[in-house]
Amino acid sequence: MGNAIEIEHLTKSYGKNRGVIDVSLKVKEGDIFGFIGPNGAGKSTTIRSMLGFLKFNEGSIKILGMDSVKDHEEILRNVGYMPSEAWFYDSMKVSDVIRYAADVRGLDCSEEAAKICEKMKVATDKRIKELSLGNRKKVSIVCAMQHKPKLFIFDEPTGGLDPLMQKHFFELINEYVDKGATCLLSTHVLSEVNKYCRSAAIMREGRLTVLDSPKIDDDTFLKFYEDE
Amino acid sequence: MKTILLKEIKLNFKNLLIWSLVVGGVGLACILMYQSMQGEIAKVGDAFSDMGSFSDAFGMSTLSMATLAGYFAVEVGTVHGLGGGMFAAIAAIGILSKEEELHSGEFLLSLPVSRKKVVAAKGICVLCMLVAFTLICGCLYALGFASMGESLPAGDFMRFMLGQFLMNIEIAAVCFAVSSLSGKNRMGMGLGIALLFYFYDLIGRVVPDLKDYLFIGPYSYVNGAEIFSGKSTPAAAFVVAAAAIVCGAVFAFWYYDKRDLAS
Repeated sequence: MGNAIEIEHLTKSYGKNRGVIDVSLKVKEGDIFGFIGPNGAGKSTTIRSMLGFLKFNEGSIKILGMDSVKDHEEILRNVGYMPSEAWFYDSMKVSDVIRYAADVRGLDCSEEAAKICEKMKVATDKRIKELSLGNRKKVSIVCAMQHKPKLFIFDEPTGGLDPLMQKHFFELINEYVDKGATCLLSTHVLSEVNKYCRSAAIMREGRLTVLDSPKIDDDTFLKFYEDE
Repeated sequence: MKTILLKEIKLNFKNLLIWSLVVGGVGLACILMYQSMQGEIAKVGDAFSDMGSFSDAFGMSTLSMATLAGYFAVEVGTVHGLGGGMFAAIAAIGILSKEEELHSGEFLLSLPVSRKKVVAAKGICVLCMLVAFTLICGCLYALGFASMGESLPAGDFMRFMLGQFLMNIEIAAVCFAVSSLSGKNRMGMGLGIALLFYFYDLIGRVVPDLKDYLFIGPYSYVNGAEIFSGKSTPAAAFVVAAAAIVCGAVFAFWYYDKRDLAS
């Protein structure tokens, strides 16, 4: 099996401020990869560099075998991304946002979208401005999944979701991964890593360490969050 | 790109309609008030035509306000020039930066579309809005002439409206470039840019030393009084306009494509 994500010596700084330093990471196809670390450690910087939101200083990123800079559009065609802050256009209806995301992809995803909406109990007739954070996150899940991408990138996806929706969310991930997709899951929730992830890595102060196993106890996990 | 363009037009439609109907409506109201104010306007026109450089600034030394065309050139010329410039600035200055300000940028740019295509779609949206704004206002002004039973001076009117359209594009291009710079909507700065250009032209027509440099500003080729009195516009003004439009658009494409986007 090949690698869905290959990051080599990624360095990104914001002027004089540290972003990430010499990060190398491989995520195998079919994996559910847990990406953990304290706030400001560089998880989102790594993810945002992968998706082209940030222009990195050094290194290279390959997603699904394609160069993240040269093949940017083609990569995004095959990626489903859910940001930590699920924001859309306030005045649009949920159904319009979901259809808009599919239309930009040039796909008719109505069947899959309806399936996910039903499972996640998404109120499609409401306007975005009427939704709570949890409900906006559900819309974001639909937009990330409806085109059945080869790679999912979730940045703190379960914050704001109730326990039942969290369960349904991971059921959906497992369903897609069983069909051949790969998932990178950035999270602070240890139980999610222990229960769902097959491998994991931790970021601290911009540097990455790949863990031997995603099965870690509370004390070890909390040590990652303590100051060095 | 087409989907993004249509969405942008839909999101900006209300804004377009309000500005077009307000600016065009005020212009139409000015035209309709002409008959009832004809006597006073003639007196005001006579008084203003004898005020030296201030008469020049408002074009009253070259054109009689006693005719509807002259009145339109001075009164509606000012309303449309200011209103159009402000609308162009507002439409363009937030169109790119709003994605970051409203945190929708990550959603949009995680879709399979390059930043260049996003900039192109948004630039075309601004252009479409300016076309619609010019057409709606133009129709309302023509309606005003028709309802007054006056024939429209078609050549001068077309030159005036096309000049205004070009001026709007020039201001929009400058603001579009500013919009690519940051993740905050700088509406105040946009209005400031439009007003700066307007007052530059106004002051330039009052201060003799500045007259030779009027062509730098976009309002230099939309002076209603000059257009309706048949005066030609220096070619340099159009060269500067073309250069500003090209530079503004190219800068927006270049800078938005290379910079980090805020979450």
